[in-house]
Amino acid sequence: MLAQFKAYLQSKVALTDEQFALISDKLKIKKFEKNELILMKGEVSTHGYFVLTGLLRSYSIDSKGKTHIIQFAPSQWWLSDRNGMLFNEASEFFIDAIEPTEAILISKDYFNEAAKIVPCMHDLNHTMLNNSIRFMQKRINMLLSATAEERYLNFIKLYPNLTLRVPQWMIASYLGITPESLSRVRKDLAHKHFRT
Amino acid sequence: MEIAKKRVSAVLTAPAPHMVGDGFRVHNFFPNGNRIKMSPFFLLDHNAKISFSARNEPRGMGVHPHRGFETVTIAYHGAIAHHDSAGNSGVIYPGDVQWMTAGAGILHKEYHEDAYSKKGGDFQMVQLWVNLPAKDKMSNPKYQGIRRQEIAQYALPDDSGTVDVIAGSYKDTNGSASTFTPINVFNVRLKKGRKASISLPENYNTGFLVIEGSIEINGVETARSNEFVHFENQGTEIEIEGLENSVILILSGEPIDEPIAQYGPFLMNTEQEIQQAISDYNRGKFGFLE
Repeated sequence: MLAQFKAYLQSKVALTDEQFALISDKLKIKKFEKNELILMKGEVSTHGYFVLTGLLRSYSIDSKGKTHIIQFAPSQWWLSDRNGMLFNEASEFFIDAIEPTEAILISKDYFNEAAKIVPCMHDLNHTMLNNSIRFMQKRINMLLSATAEERYLNFIKLYPNLTLRVPQWMIASYLGITPESLSRVRKDLAHKHFRT
Repeated sequence: MEIAKKRVSAVLTAPAPHMVGDGFRVHNFFPNGNRIKMSPFFLLDHNAKISFSARNEPRGMGVHPHRGFETVTIAYHGAIAHHDSAGNSGVIYPGDVQWMTAGAGILHKEYHEDAYSKKGGDFQMVQLWVNLPAKDKMSNPKYQGIRRQEIAQYALPDDSGTVDVIAGSYKDTNGSASTFTPINVFNVRLKKGRKASISLPENYNTGFLVIEGSIEINGVETARSNEFVHFENQGTEIEIEGLENSVILILSGEPIDEPIAQYGPFLMNTEQEIQQAISDYNRGKFGFLE
């Protein structure tokens, strides 16, 4: 399974097989069952996850008991609670597995340690962090200003096959709209695009 | 010259069941349960007989798309209601067959029929995915809803039982369903101690699912309910004998010799066509179903 992580890293940076062997020998793969709770709000998370197969999500639950999905993490996505991992603070989010999942556990020090052996891992971490910020900025803007249809169209570009893997209410929750709004959006699109 | 027997290549026990939605507890005999040559049949799910408790809100499988193949649903116990994005709906009762050509794309949902759900009780059904050749994958979706009484039936000699010819032909009795490629699908009801002979082309991929009872095949192999008998691509003649009163689903078809690309509910020839199917589904090109 680590071969997949190697291929991922090698698609991002110049990394030889020998170098990968040096930075991967302590990595642990963990399996999660469907619906398994991985991180509870209030816990201090010590690891992030690189998803190999399956699907994770992070979410919060508001004072009325409503779930708000922050992020989906299918194969080749990273998911972590930075509060715990980097600042040793309690998580505001939950993480669980929507599907049976295999993920690599990434500790807080992983990239620093790896960069001592392979310096380009530092650059990769930096780029990924910037990508993550860029992603969050776009997500904030979408949630503040985009119509339900724009949010959905952006979602299917980002996560093309999740519409086949998760229930509608989860997509609606991620988009910050009601399931009824999502249904309306899909109905409108069908009216526009359905072959007649 | 003696006519060549079609020999059994394996008698496969049922793989562990899994839930499809919350209404179907199925054993997937292939493609996940076993890697066997069964083209043009791509998938066989058997909801072996189980009893569901009564429930007001019917169990089932919510709205989902299909493209590139046909779904064939055969009910044995209980009843299944279905709706689709083309406005079709109906109920499949025991003995009925729903042969749905998803073709270019359809959205549908399948649930326990309301009255059955409220009463609960035995439930048993089979769902097959029948592949379509490349030239027909994007054909217009259609339904063949076939009631049991409409299914062509051949009476076996000596009151041995009956053969419901769902598709294809059995001893000059032609099946009720129209198919895109040559396919035989029969429900054989065979009495205890009686025999039936079946002749199928050598090159057709062939398998029997024992729905109920137990049978002896070619005088040498036995198979019990919820077991799948897979045959070799040699020989043409099969003889079965009922060790009990038995029901056997016979599947046999000319292989479709084309590349396969599958993702979830889409069955195409190339990865690019799969990506197109996902994109079309997301953008509403399959229509809409609440």
